[in-house]
Amino acid sequence: MRIDIQHISSGEDEVIVRYREKTPKIKRILDAIGADDVKICGKAGDETVCLVLDDILYIETVDDKTFAYTMNDVVRLDGSLARLEEELEDDRVFRCSKSMMINIDKVERLKALSSNRIDATMINGEHIIISRTYASEFRRILKGGRREG
Amino acid sequence: MKDKKKITLFERILTREIGIEFKACLYFFTQLFFYSVFRLCTGRTDAEILHMAEMIFACYIICYIQVYLLWDFDEADNLGLKEIAGMLICTAIYTGLSFVCKWFEGNFWVYAGFAAYVIFTYICAFLVYKVKRKIDDKKLNEDLKMFQSGRR
Repeated sequence: MRIDIQHISSGEDEVIVRYREKTPKIKRILDAIGADDVKICGKAGDETVCLVLDDILYIETVDDKTFAYTMNDVVRLDGSLARLEEELEDDRVFRCSKSMMINIDKVERLKALSSNRIDATMINGEHIIISRTYASEFRRILKGGRREG
Repeated sequence: MKDKKKITLFERILTREIGIEFKACLYFFTQLFFYSVFRLCTGRTDAEILHMAEMIFACYIICYIQVYLLWDFDEADNLGLKEIAGMLICTAIYTGLSFVCKWFEGNFWVYAGFAAYVIFTYICAFLVYKVKRKIDDKKLNEDLKMFQSGRR
């Protein structure tokens, strides 16, 4: 891959990515510059709000309703957790229990619990338990393993 | 995609069974150590094979009780009242069995010593599991930081 970096003294900063095929490396570059961010929209009260993954701490399903939690808001989303997981299709999104997905980038620290569970403290101080069913996969992803499927 | 990343019920049961096997071996060896020391102290250098068979059988049964009925207390996050109750129940079963099966053929103080020793081994096991989790915490957080900084 040819890389061309230019320093400019005036004008707007610009990033041009040219690719024939979206390889994992290209995808990571697009992720890093936020060019490939999927927007998911929902309702916060009466207002329609669109979120990118970077805004979301975690997504939870309660009584068949799906909510995305940001630092300041709770946004009601359309669709199931499984559909959102497919839509977002990002290594940062991890299904940590039957009813919850977390954004790994928004985890502040982790604590190993008994029975192979993991307590994830989010940047807003909330604790989310990664159940033992999903803990091994979580460890694998943190070690750099790509998502299967 | 979901099915591949989830641990299946079979894998979960297998993991638990391996855990029980490990615990049974651990507690069997600690009891064998006490038994051997007792035999040496009473001037004998042999061990009854029947006693050893009883011990390992007792360890398996009690480890099943411990894991499935008594909150797997030695691996608990904190030592609370129910964990201490679990420890005391298992200690009482071990001590009762040692008396019935005549492992020590000794007086009351030998059995009291054995009970204290079993509690001591449970506390040691609890602390070892706790330290293991602390080390695991460090590794997990290192991996998390690596993931967040570069998404390797």
